[in-house]
Amino acid sequence: MTQSFYGRTGTPRGRSFNRRDFLKMGGAGLAGAALLGTAGCGGGGGGSFNGEITLGFGREPSGTLQKLIDQFNKQSNDIKVTWRPMPSDTGQYFDQLRTQFQAQDASLTLIGGDVIWPAQFAANSYIIDLSDRFTESMRSKFLQGPVESNSYEDGIFGVPWYTDAGLLYYRKDLLEKAGFSGPPATWDELKEQAQKVMQDEGTKFGFVFQGAEYEGGTVNGLEYINSHGGQVLDPNDASKVTIDSPESVAGLETEYSMVADGVSPQAVSTYAEPETEAPFLGGDAVFARNWPYMYSLAGTENFIETDLIDIAPLPAGEGGESVSVPGGWNFFINAFAEQEAQDAAWEFVQYMTAPEQQKAYALGGSYLPTLTALYEDPEIKEALPVVGVAGEALKNAIPRPVSPVYSDMSLKMAEEFNASLGGDTPPQQAISTLQSELQKIADQAPS
Amino acid sequence: MSVAAEKKRRGGFFKREFGDPERRTAYYMVLPALLIIMIVAFFPIMYAVVLSLTDSTVVQTGPFVGVQNYVEMFQNPDFLEGLSNTVVFTVVSVALEFLIGLAIALAINQAFKGRGLVRAAILVPWAFPTVISAVMWRLMFQDQVGVINYVVNTLGIISQPILSDRTLLLIAAIGVDVWKTTPFMALLLLAGLQTISSDVYEAARVDGANIMQRFFRITLPLLKGTILVAVLFRTLDSYRIFDLFWAMSNRELESLSTFVYKSVRVSQLLFAQGNAASVFIFVTSFLLALFFIYGLGMQTSTED
Repeated sequence: MTQSFYGRTGTPRGRSFNRRDFLKMGGAGLAGAALLGTAGCGGGGGGSFNGEITLGFGREPSGTLQKLIDQFNKQSNDIKVTWRPMPSDTGQYFDQLRTQFQAQDASLTLIGGDVIWPAQFAANSYIIDLSDRFTESMRSKFLQGPVESNSYEDGIFGVPWYTDAGLLYYRKDLLEKAGFSGPPATWDELKEQAQKVMQDEGTKFGFVFQGAEYEGGTVNGLEYINSHGGQVLDPNDASKVTIDSPESVAGLETEYSMVADGVSPQAVSTYAEPETEAPFLGGDAVFARNWPYMYSLAGTENFIETDLIDIAPLPAGEGGESVSVPGGWNFFINAFAEQEAQDAAWEFVQYMTAPEQQKAYALGGSYLPTLTALYEDPEIKEALPVVGVAGEALKNAIPRPVSPVYSDMSLKMAEEFNASLGGDTPPQQAISTLQSELQKIADQAPS
Repeated sequence: MSVAAEKKRRGGFFKREFGDPERRTAYYMVLPALLIIMIVAFFPIMYAVVLSLTDSTVVQTGPFVGVQNYVEMFQNPDFLEGLSNTVVFTVVSVALEFLIGLAIALAINQAFKGRGLVRAAILVPWAFPTVISAVMWRLMFQDQVGVINYVVNTLGIISQPILSDRTLLLIAAIGVDVWKTTPFMALLLLAGLQTISSDVYEAARVDGANIMQRFFRITLPLLKGTILVAVLFRTLDSYRIFDLFWAMSNRELESLSTFVYKSVRVSQLLFAQGNAASVFIFVTSFLLALFFIYGLGMQTSTED
């Protein structure tokens, strides 16, 4: 271990550091990155606080996260952050965290966690309430949707780090050839345009999205339901399930009609994100629903070039409006960590969510920032066209049901949405089953 | 038998077993092993049984609720789907594996050129880790790149994509399991075939027995022990199927074991039902084993 090489300098804790200094010394920080990268092993766990905190987070392929951490470590003499990689599958990550929390394990001081977790972790007091630290005035600088998804009862349990929004990808060239001036505004228009292009140009599929039985299937189903005006939980009383409405049924009917009308392949009920990428970027589909990351894949390998595709907010349902169900990741602080470690973690959270670092993270890995101001940043807009559209989409974001028993609800929704899309269950029946099953689950929520 | 007589007999038993210092030492010697077996095998099973009778969550043990978890479990459509899938899967796949495995065993029991090579080659599917072969087959069944899906759609045998239909998925899972474990079955049966002396066949041939008579009167009866062991192994194995279903169907196909996993690990509310289901699996597979041993007369030791 090379840790002793860098040592702890013994600087008294609490020495303040200026964030602007970070940027000045950024170059030096990056130079030290490679060396520092090997420095962290162990850390956390037991004993008195020694200035080391551990961040748990999944995969970050662009390497930007490590760079930002190294930069932080270089600047700060009294806090050293180590990143411990966690499973990139959100379900497995959740599973592992829950096991650790049940053992009151404090080895991860800080958690980079999914947008759907706060309620469940907060209800069990696994993560701390940040109301005092993450003040109202700070919150107002962030996008509203991601902040809301971190609130549970009267507290706020996480700080939005980066966000994600479902987007409609379309083939600019094909729509133009077929004589359409722009992307569809409603699901019906989408079907119409897709059918015409399929007929004229012989494109194999009209529309691909994520219909498999997993968290992504839940998100897609909810987008249809929400965009028709349906809602899973009563907005004023989260313990009341209100999914059984004509709007929700209309939502699932629209989703099923994609397959029934031949716009989407029958196998769409087995598709997750990779199966969506392949046909759309392979040139076999007119439309696709996917997260912003897919934009950066265009032009790589055998995929079609970026100039053939464009993005738009998702279509609206009949009588509803365009809605996106946001994804995204937040910082949570472990409630079992020592007070000093929690304070140190908070320092790092402030650093990571500051405009400079969010910008660096957005540019480095094409992630959507959570600070409202960055959506007007010319440099980001220039480099990431996704940001403009995603900013629009996020204005109409409806988060997934915020409930301490969300994971059980999601399992049921994924199952019923998938059955409805596959044609095994009529939409009406899927919705009424969900009404009773979800209510049963909601009734078991710890109060 | 009178109480007194029983007492005397029991006293006799203890005296016989523990009175003799040599026997006593023997008991002391096996005691650690017995303790370890109790701790590693018996305790977890009993603990699961206890948990299945309480209203527990993954965080804390709850109050005793009797058989309520079992009642709820049998009303849970997911559990019933898992149960029926598992039973169909087990019966069909083991039957097919046995029939094909026996045919292969009979074939490679004959002397022919390159027999060793063939015997090694048929084991290849079995040597693959199940998760890997499950993912590999999923790709072949997939609608975009899947060769099997393409062929059956082109020939018009099946019109819909295989992976999006539960019945087709179950059939596909049975097919993959047969592909994977038939060699194992064949190998077990081949070992049994080789213990049958060729003298018996020669004598039968001299007596004018035809090939069918030789098979049904000699091969099958003499192979019975091996068959029972092989079929029991495979039955218990398929009954616990998890990895193939989980990886090949991308978690869509439910079996008893995937139900347990989902309840205990993924859900926060079904922990107790998941425990009840795991006890159910344990008890039913135990009964299956007992049926093979006592009902069908399987030999469990070579002593007699």
